[in-house]
Amino acid sequence: MIDNRLIQSLVAVVGQSRVSVTRTGMELYSYDASLVKGHPSVVVFPADSSQVAQVVKMAVQAGVDIVPRGFGTNLSGGTISVTRGLVIAMTRFNNILEICPENRYAVVQPGVTNLEVQQALAKFGAFYAPDPASQKVATLGGNAGENSGGPLCLKYGVTTNHILGMELVTADGEILRIGGPALDPPGLDLRGILVGSEGTLGIVTELTLRTLPRCESVITMLAVYDEIQAAARSVSGISSAGIVPSTLEMMDATVIEAVEASAPCGYPTDAAAVLIIEVEGVRAGLEEQAARIRQICMDTGCRNIQTAGNAAERDRLWQGRRGAFGAIARLAPNYLVNDACVPRTRLPEALEQVGAIAEHYGCRVGNVFHAGDGNLHPLLLFDSRNPRELDMVHRAGWDIMAACVSLGGTISGEHGIGKEKQAAMHMIFSHDDLAAQRLVKQAFDPHQRINPDKIIPLPYPQGGPFLLNRPGGMSASGVSAAADAIQAAAEAGRSVLITGTGCFANACHLSSTDTTPVSTLGMTDIIEYDPANQFITAGAGMSLSSLQQVLGKNNQWLPLRPPWRGEIITTGAVAATGVSGPERMRYGAPRDLALGLRYLDSRGRIIAAGGKVVKNVAGYDMTRLMIGSYGGLGMITEITWKVVTRADTCLAVQARGSLTHCVQAALTLMNAPLFPALIVAAPATDHPPAGSSPFILTVGFEGHAAAVRHKAAVCGNLVKDAGLDSATLDTYDIVAGCLRKSFADLDRYPFILKASGSLDFLLHNVQVIDDLAHPDHWLLDCGNGRVFAALNQLPDDMWRSLTCGADFWSSDAATMKNARTKGAGNHIILEKFPNAFCRTHDLFSPIPGPVQDLTRRIKQALDPGRLFVSGQLT
Amino acid sequence: MDITADYDAISQCNRCGFCQVACPVFRSTGQESGVARGRLALLRGIIEERVPWGRELEDPLFTCLGCGACTANCFGAVPLVDLIITARGQYLEQVGRKSIHKLLFDHLLPYPDRLHLAARAVAMGKKTGLSKLAGALGLLRVLGRDLARADRIIDRLPATAFRQKIVPGIYAGSGRKLSVGYFVGCGIDIIQQRTGHATLGLLRNIARQVIVLDNGCCGLPAWTYGDMPAARRLMRKNLEMFTRLSVDLIVTDCSSCAGFLKKYDTIAARTCAADSVDDSKKMPAVPEIRDMVEFLCQHRENVSRDDALPDLNPSRQGCTPIVVTYHDPCHAVRGQGLGRESRELLDGLPDMVFREMPESDWCCGGAGAYALSHYDLSMTVLDRKMDNVAATGADLLVTSCPACMIQLSHGVRRKQLDTRVCHISEIYRYRHGRISGG
Repeated sequence: MIDNRLIQSLVAVVGQSRVSVTRTGMELYSYDASLVKGHPSVVVFPADSSQVAQVVKMAVQAGVDIVPRGFGTNLSGGTISVTRGLVIAMTRFNNILEICPENRYAVVQPGVTNLEVQQALAKFGAFYAPDPASQKVATLGGNAGENSGGPLCLKYGVTTNHILGMELVTADGEILRIGGPALDPPGLDLRGILVGSEGTLGIVTELTLRTLPRCESVITMLAVYDEIQAAARSVSGISSAGIVPSTLEMMDATVIEAVEASAPCGYPTDAAAVLIIEVEGVRAGLEEQAARIRQICMDTGCRNIQTAGNAAERDRLWQGRRGAFGAIARLAPNYLVNDACVPRTRLPEALEQVGAIAEHYGCRVGNVFHAGDGNLHPLLLFDSRNPRELDMVHRAGWDIMAACVSLGGTISGEHGIGKEKQAAMHMIFSHDDLAAQRLVKQAFDPHQRINPDKIIPLPYPQGGPFLLNRPGGMSASGVSAAADAIQAAAEAGRSVLITGTGCFANACHLSSTDTTPVSTLGMTDIIEYDPANQFITAGAGMSLSSLQQVLGKNNQWLPLRPPWRGEIITTGAVAATGVSGPERMRYGAPRDLALGLRYLDSRGRIIAAGGKVVKNVAGYDMTRLMIGSYGGLGMITEITWKVVTRADTCLAVQARGSLTHCVQAALTLMNAPLFPALIVAAPATDHPPAGSSPFILTVGFEGHAAAVRHKAAVCGNLVKDAGLDSATLDTYDIVAGCLRKSFADLDRYPFILKASGSLDFLLHNVQVIDDLAHPDHWLLDCGNGRVFAALNQLPDDMWRSLTCGADFWSSDAATMKNARTKGAGNHIILEKFPNAFCRTHDLFSPIPGPVQDLTRRIKQALDPGRLFVSGQLT
Repeated sequence: MDITADYDAISQCNRCGFCQVACPVFRSTGQESGVARGRLALLRGIIEERVPWGRELEDPLFTCLGCGACTANCFGAVPLVDLIITARGQYLEQVGRKSIHKLLFDHLLPYPDRLHLAARAVAMGKKTGLSKLAGALGLLRVLGRDLARADRIIDRLPATAFRQKIVPGIYAGSGRKLSVGYFVGCGIDIIQQRTGHATLGLLRNIARQVIVLDNGCCGLPAWTYGDMPAARRLMRKNLEMFTRLSVDLIVTDCSSCAGFLKKYDTIAARTCAADSVDDSKKMPAVPEIRDMVEFLCQHRENVSRDDALPDLNPSRQGCTPIVVTYHDPCHAVRGQGLGRESRELLDGLPDMVFREMPESDWCCGGAGAYALSHYDLSMTVLDRKMDNVAATGADLLVTSCPACMIQLSHGVRRKQLDTRVCHISEIYRYRHGRISGG
């Protein structure tokens, strides 16, 4: 309850002028950029995470709900207190703490706006890929909370692919650190579930962002269409040609007209649609790419296409897109933006239906949207003073979401569910799906104090579930048998060990003898493959290599090359382990490539997570939570993967030199605009000591021939400048990669460990491992800051000192607190080991206590009977 | 005046929040009470009877700098400043005004000589009726910020007003055409007299004749405060004086005055309900008004330079090139759409190098009488500005508004920078090829 005592304690923490309780003050926090309204009882403006933690503790103790808020630009009511609670305004968290372009990360406070960080990074020739249209004012905390997208996400992915770590204040008022510059920390992917959780699981007080070097050159084109279907055909044509433009933005006739009326920028007013297409990369080959795009556009019914000749012309072409909302805004007092998503080939149908819906409700609509990823943004015009119009846009928005869902899409691609779309969650999630999400909320926030009553709807508010028309699930081959086996095991009080081809089962504790193995190998269906929309849904028992064969028929692939057991590993194991090779730096890990999945929970029910469109922010990101969970939370039965067109040329540049020189060259390459697919250094001889023996640096480039050849040539010069000897060039197969032999060399040893840190820690990490364990072989995955070391033996004390003994690996909260630049989050994981080893040892460096607690709570919530054997990860 | 009449404009706010990044006050406080979206939400709340008139509204209504950056950043271009000033007017009626403000607007600002006397009296610590009034109003803060605390107060505040030396009337010029009226703002009259001399010199270079006007306050302070009747009285007084002139146009070297003079028509239309005279007597027409910046830009070929540029930081004397940066007064850049002109004037001057500062068009926090009631907030806004100035390493910080000059000079002293603040007229009037001491 909010009383004077609470107010006084809040004042004592943050100061008199940082607590607002007046009637006027509450009116000022009754809204965000959505149509949702609700009054808080008190607003506080803390200065740092310890103040946030104190405020949370006080509020929870007083039984008061908490809502975190940045600049309040949320479009779904996520920052509105609907329970007269306490708003924590994060506007004072506005510092950029660290920028480290060679290591490709930056550390920021959540109240920094997206554009501010872009401007700061630009000085270092770097950028942060997610660029929501509201980037000028949207804060990074909000971006993380909503899992924001933006025009560039077509090429680079959404926010969750670019958040490396965070500092979080939990519902208990604990401050904990999750992840950091070092990739893929052991344990559950907590940052995966936190990104997109809309401020309902905790309060983020610091973020580590992944940054990238800026591209060398950009070509901007404006394609004009007489019919909107033709524009959509061009979009599909471009993607299936394997070209990934950095942006593909569409505007319809209403928007063109409005733009030209307010600030003319040369769009033809008689056009039905225009596309802004932008490609970026190295200069070499870029013009050829642009020429191919022009050809594709003309072949698919484009009226004409113009290219910006210089920066001024480029600005002019963009001016209309940037000003589109403004131009539309002037047509009516208010507008509602819906952000439903469809697979991009369904765009013409979606637009037709949007038009019909708008007509039905008699409201004007303009369409401006991210065509490349099928993310609509119909702007519905109305006057919020008129209750009838307000009701009308709500209904129209609802119908648009329903239409998009029926076309295979989702209800929100960027803006989040918040309060506004809560009921629409029933359109895409079953009762069981939602129950699973509710359990996650329960694990993070047992007393339902953090932004309560958001995202997950109450059961079936309108008299029954909506029709969920989903292929696969329980009906896919092998699933119901597995479900029966799980249920039987549960009833018999036995635990379940998920098995496939044996690629990860042995990573679990096998101490229990009452274990029922349940195999995924019957789950081999291709449930849905849509080459044009570049996704495939396949059973978890399907091997990665068969999947690649299927995809190969359409010249596509899943850009993953697991270092070991690549021939037999199932896609289920790929997902469950989150395994990735050095190409991770370019394509991401399984967590970045999975669009959705299904799993059997601890009661044998099928649960769906995610979907099949690239942009999807509906509900908690259970997909990320399941990936890398080693079968500890459920049995993954099918995964929907984002697939890509195979690059036509793969070239490996190899050069020889000392370890130091190799790492120096890698650092230079990391912040050069070359975007290699991998940067790896391996010893030139067998059984090398790490110190002075020569290494071979391998840099892989994958893409269009002209660009790849140019990049390889530039790279050759760069490595020479870095002190390596003359470089050689070799082509390689895209699916097999160029490192099979290097990894096979490691695989000869019974123990392989993987140490991760940021790249500038690589040499240090090698030194530490060399001193402690004298490995027999090495492979340095420089692009991902990882060291692979192979050993013939790993005695207890050696493993202990590797994981715990050295302060360096230790990651307890105390050392991490002030270790932002001192290797916080560096970790070590055993990738390969004899079966017996895991019965008696942890397979990774210690997970910080509070993070471990959280992990256990999630396990407890989703699998209370500890049915799934999960080893020490959970 | 009732904000209900502005319901349409107020409802145009879609609460997208884009105003937040542009608003110097919001960037200082991080609170919705200090940004356009919040202020508009309250105005809407008042109209829709959720928010009652009362003291709680004072801060949200009066902490606005009136810089207009929000409108420039707004998709719907909601004219926040006009709306907020109307609301201030209504606040004064509904909640109450301080009688002291009435005295300022009715008895001091219309009369240049009284204003000067008052300022000087306070500066010299004399206890007169006027000084008591001016002191109570924080007039010194308005005119000189820290003047009262600084050494050499009397040196900095000239003994006589500008127009006691340069008597209003006709001055012959060396140009062939143009009869120009020189509208002397309060800042020039009382404090920045060197700017006044520079401007007059330049005008005489360009025009056939210059008439130094016997004008009073332009009315901007009264209007900003929401005192519509006072603003209209000041406007009417000036407009009636203009009708008696025979000039082609009127120039002022105060961008705030220029911006407001240009708006006389629209302000008159918006505020006509507040004027009892209005029924019987129409407001005279507004003549052609030019900001000195645009006038100088148009005629810069015709000017000649005079004395050496004074008061450069001693360590930089004799060093070339001199680094120059420019601060855009709100009333120039957004009020009148002037920005290109000042760059054209400053870029490429001999022995000078122009260096653009980040956020050059951000308000300095001066905002006329703002520091009167919001000194601390005004200083936070100023600190951001001065950090941007410092980043350029400029020797000269040039601008075109005396109110900004006062605030920026205070900022220079506050941050202990080796930078001189001066008006763009001074750059053009005073020779800078050779720099002498003093």
